[in-house]
Amino acid sequence: MKKSIAIVEDEPALRENYAAALSRHGYQVKTYANRKVAMQAFTTRLPDLAIIDISLEDEAEGGFDLCRDLRAMSAELPIIFLTARDSELDAVSGLRLGADDFLTKDVSLPHLAARVAALFRRIDALRLPQNATDMVRRGALVMDAGKMQTTWNARPVTLSLTEFWIVHALALNPGHVKNRQQLMDAANVVLDDSTITSHIKRLRRKFLEIDPAFDAVQTVYGMGYRWVE
Amino acid sequence: MSIRLQLLIVALTTLILPWAGCQYARELENALRVSQENALESTADTIALALSAQPARVFHGSEDSRPYAEEQGDQYVFALRTAPLLDGYHEDWGVAAEPQRLPSPDGYGARVQLGSTDRYLFLYVQVDEPRFVAEPANPDVDKDRFDRLDMTLEQPDGSLESYFFATGAPGLIEAQKTVIQADGSAHIATEPRIQAYWLETAGGYHLEARVPLALVGSRLWVEAREASGRKAGFAADSARGGRLFMATSGLGELLATFIRPGTRATVVDANGLKLGTSGALRAADLEDDSSGTWYRRFVTVDTSAWPVQASLPDRMTGKSITAALAGLPAAEWLRSSGGAQDLLLLAAAPIAVDGRTRGAVVLEQSGDQLLDLRDRALARLFDLTLLATALAVVFAFSLATFISVRIGRLRSAADSAVGNDGRIRLEMPESGSADEIGALARAFERLLARLDEHARYLRTLGGKLSHELRTPLTIVRSSLDNLESEGVRGDQRGYLTRAREGTGRLQSILAALGAASRVEESIKQAERVSFDLADLARAAVAGYRDAFPHARFALDVPADGCLLFGAPELIAQMLDKLVENAVDFTPPEGTITVKLARADGKYELSVENDGPSIPDAMLGRLFESLFEHRQGSDDKPHFGLGLYIVRLIAEFHDGTALAVNRPDGNGAAFVVSLPMI
Repeated sequence: MKKSIAIVEDEPALRENYAAALSRHGYQVKTYANRKVAMQAFTTRLPDLAIIDISLEDEAEGGFDLCRDLRAMSAELPIIFLTARDSELDAVSGLRLGADDFLTKDVSLPHLAARVAALFRRIDALRLPQNATDMVRRGALVMDAGKMQTTWNARPVTLSLTEFWIVHALALNPGHVKNRQQLMDAANVVLDDSTITSHIKRLRRKFLEIDPAFDAVQTVYGMGYRWVE
Repeated sequence: MSIRLQLLIVALTTLILPWAGCQYARELENALRVSQENALESTADTIALALSAQPARVFHGSEDSRPYAEEQGDQYVFALRTAPLLDGYHEDWGVAAEPQRLPSPDGYGARVQLGSTDRYLFLYVQVDEPRFVAEPANPDVDKDRFDRLDMTLEQPDGSLESYFFATGAPGLIEAQKTVIQADGSAHIATEPRIQAYWLETAGGYHLEARVPLALVGSRLWVEAREASGRKAGFAADSARGGRLFMATSGLGELLATFIRPGTRATVVDANGLKLGTSGALRAADLEDDSSGTWYRRFVTVDTSAWPVQASLPDRMTGKSITAALAGLPAAEWLRSSGGAQDLLLLAAAPIAVDGRTRGAVVLEQSGDQLLDLRDRALARLFDLTLLATALAVVFAFSLATFISVRIGRLRSAADSAVGNDGRIRLEMPESGSADEIGALARAFERLLARLDEHARYLRTLGGKLSHELRTPLTIVRSSLDNLESEGVRGDQRGYLTRAREGTGRLQSILAALGAASRVEESIKQAERVSFDLADLARAAVAGYRDAFPHARFALDVPADGCLLFGAPELIAQMLDKLVENAVDFTPPEGTITVKLARADGKYELSVENDGPSIPDAMLGRLFESLFEHRQGSDDKPHFGLGLYIVRLIAEFHDGTALAVNRPDGNGAAFVVSLPMI
């Protein structure tokens, strides 16, 4: 059965281009021009994945509201922000609202398709039985890639998808420096340097809330980050 | 011209006050003068009226109104205050006038003067007699020749009586007269009632004689005769000449009852001869107040054209007196014959008796009182106005200084309102003041606020532009993606590739434009931690060696820790930008040096590179947003945002960023100073 994707985008030309590209990749695409129309459709039937622009027609933050509502309706629905707004604030807000990815419109269509595919793969992986290699144990850290669950000192840490994959990439090879590009690849996200920096900050803070002595994610200036045990 | 000078000049215009004061004082003086004139004239009139009611106490006889003919032997008789000593000197007479020269057909020199008290008539004669011939004892009047002085009196009864003075030896003598006896023979008899003193002098003799008024009628002739026959004077002639014009005794005392001190009253007869005088002019006392008179020169009424007082001892002359004697009261101002400063007011009023003007009352008053009054008023006026002027000048100067200081403060604030970094300081001094300067300051503030708004708009323009352009660009790119996916013919692929290249370049331009606002935003959210700057630099350079394998890096950091409280990510980002910039301008084989040093409370983090130096004009502007002048070694667009970001990060750490050329001319150095905390 074809996976269904909802695109909420107020710019018709873009909307059609995205729809055409994703249809070509075998998805069933539905497009909506604004939040109202989209919500009407979503209350009837949820798509398998939603691609949302932040500003929708006359609602400058319509995408955020839509994301919040969608997340309320379904905790698992993958949501991707695809927007011309590239400020760190927007990215952080979007991710905090529960979006799984935040893409700027600089992204190319093949890349977009790849990200969508990656996200579906990840969802699928969650449903597969647990694989031992998906378990990462580094001292107090335990990461379950199958369930996307993280614990520190046996206490759960609620990481977003992107944060999860960043920590996962770092913890997999302790001591190795991962530069930003590598982290982006690991998390399957296209973000600029400062967004990576803010992700690192956010995930550090989450660990620090549990353990004020947490210092495992280290910055290597000019290069990137590494996991220290 | 500075405001201070302008206001000073304005203040100096208050000097017009003393000038106006002078004008006023002059008017005042004129008015006072006129009123004094009127007052004196009316006083003179009153006295004249009073005197005309008692002519007997004023005038001697009825003949007085006939013209006084000096050339015919008419004589003025001075009123003497006290009877002089008979000693041959007339200095004790108290008469200022010199004796009057007697006419002489043959050059015989003789002078005569007459005076009287209430009982005696005094005669004083000076004779130039080079060779004195004494009177022989028992002289024969007809034959003997000796120097003698003849005096003929008209007696009260109208008959003439002749006397002569002569002596054998100088000293007290008596008058002699020739007595014709019944037999017709003449002999000489002395007249003991007429006494005289004969004084011999180097050039002749003086005779001072005293005649009881009882012997004197209204005429008297004097003739000096030398032994040789020369003579001078007037022979007795009952028909003419020899009249005596005597001051009226008691008139002075009478006048004294009319006048006040400081006024001199004189009664003259129809000839202008003085009949009586009383009072004295107040002595001018200019010496003791000379200090207060320096400004007289500014105010003095020009008196040079005024007539000078005619100061004759025996008579009074002048316009007013002539007018009064013609029956019209008059007054005039005169210059005293004494000092140039002394002014004299003279008023004359006719004394009419039985409808005929027989004389005049002349009142004289010194103008000094007036001058005093004026001077005192002027002195006060000057003091006050000068004080006012000085106060005005001081006040104006202080005000001007105050204003110019405030304007200066405003000006320097306006000068520095736009800083070197392009930031605008919005606060102006004086903006709280309620006056025009405050309004100006507020206008400046509004202007600066609008300027700042505009500058802010310009700064964010790049970000907005990149945002707005991003969507259409995405449409183009996604369309190209779709086109490519749908499959294009081989010969069309070239166009597609070119279109992609174009959009790629557009995209990188937009990314650069938006970068500044993104960085500004991330700076706002940056958190400060304490970290080791030296460690960061070491790690970063290690990273650069990997990232830029073709460039050579040198590192110069202190071995010990350099703790800084700041945002390490931002510092690293700043270093990235500086190194990227240096890499762009470093020629192959050139070296990039990252240096960290301590300098008085600051860390100096610098990135130096070999290569071309930067034109001086650009040094200060390199850190501006979107400033681009340098041509890099690649084809990447250069919007100077890198260095702008460097500045933003340096300022976030309260530091400064500076570009300098290396002293040796090989390359440039970018120095960021960060204060230690």
